[in-house]
Amino acid sequence: MNQKKTIEGRIEEALDSLDGIRRASPQPWFYARVKARLDREEKTVWESISFFLSKPAVVMAGLAAILMLNVFVLSRQSQELGSVANQQGLVTDSESIIASNSSFDYENLVQP
Amino acid sequence: MNASIGSGFFNFDFLLNEFCVISFLAKKSGLDERLLVTQLKEGDEAAFKAIVETWQDMVFNTALGIVQNAEDAEDIAQEVFVQVYQSISSFKGDSKFSTWLYRIAITKSLDHERRKKRKKRFAFVKSLFGEESEVVVHPPDFNHPGVLLDKKEDAAALFGAISDLPANQRLAFTLHKVEGLSYQEVSEVMQTTVSSVESLMHRARINLKKALQAYYKENG
Repeated sequence: MNQKKTIEGRIEEALDSLDGIRRASPQPWFYARVKARLDREEKTVWESISFFLSKPAVVMAGLAAILMLNVFVLSRQSQELGSVANQQGLVTDSESIIASNSSFDYENLVQP
Repeated sequence: MNASIGSGFFNFDFLLNEFCVISFLAKKSGLDERLLVTQLKEGDEAAFKAIVETWQDMVFNTALGIVQNAEDAEDIAQEVFVQVYQSISSFKGDSKFSTWLYRIAITKSLDHERRKKRKKRFAFVKSLFGEESEVVVHPPDFNHPGVLLDKKEDAAALFGAISDLPANQRLAFTLHKVEGLSYQEVSEVMQTTVSSVESLMHRARINLKKALQAYYKENG
């Protein structure tokens, strides 16, 4: 009975043992360590980005994407030029274009 | 206002002045907090330093109460402020800045505890397969440096019991007892209702009593 009372008493004391507790503080110069960690993490981010971009697979994929983009843009441009020329009745075949550029009388060719 | 009720026992003027001073200081600290946050969003390092110095004890103490290890708590506290710096733009001001800080500290502390448990389980499984694993050293009883001297032994037993509580009960108990937050403040941090916090505290006390009973029976 006494032991039970003692245990119950100790339990209540333990539950109240945090009364009056004060906040703990980190070790001195905490801000300096936070700043150093922040600087390290920022460098790490840039390092990982440049490491990723320098991978051969990434470089090849990037070049292929640029080439495809160029092909796409050029093909779109020539289609647009063709449709504009057709609308205005302009000559579009390459031989006529070369002939007109070199003042060659394409239509009145003297046959050998 | 010159009205005075009673000569020395109850002085209305004095109380009114005290109220005005406290309101002023509370408003001022709220304004300072908003100013610091605005400056930090602009990348002001001085503002960041002021934030760290103002709230470092709060963040460290919260982490310490949960992880019960000073080195780990320091590590977590650093991570918290790094995250504050990197994600300050996501703080919209719909809660107090300290509430936001508490949430980050709690998340990081609980993540740390989960990683620790995973490592222990992994080490245990490895040992079953006869693989060498790190020697598991059972940490000594945790002594919180802020506990009063005559209560240290009891507090160590209590912290041992707290570490075995379910996460929510542990959080509520730690925030209330170690950080000294009211039930209202605990509910804001945990994003729950005051009645939920009351229920968590009630269940925590029941579980702690059971754990302490077993502890004192075994240890005399």
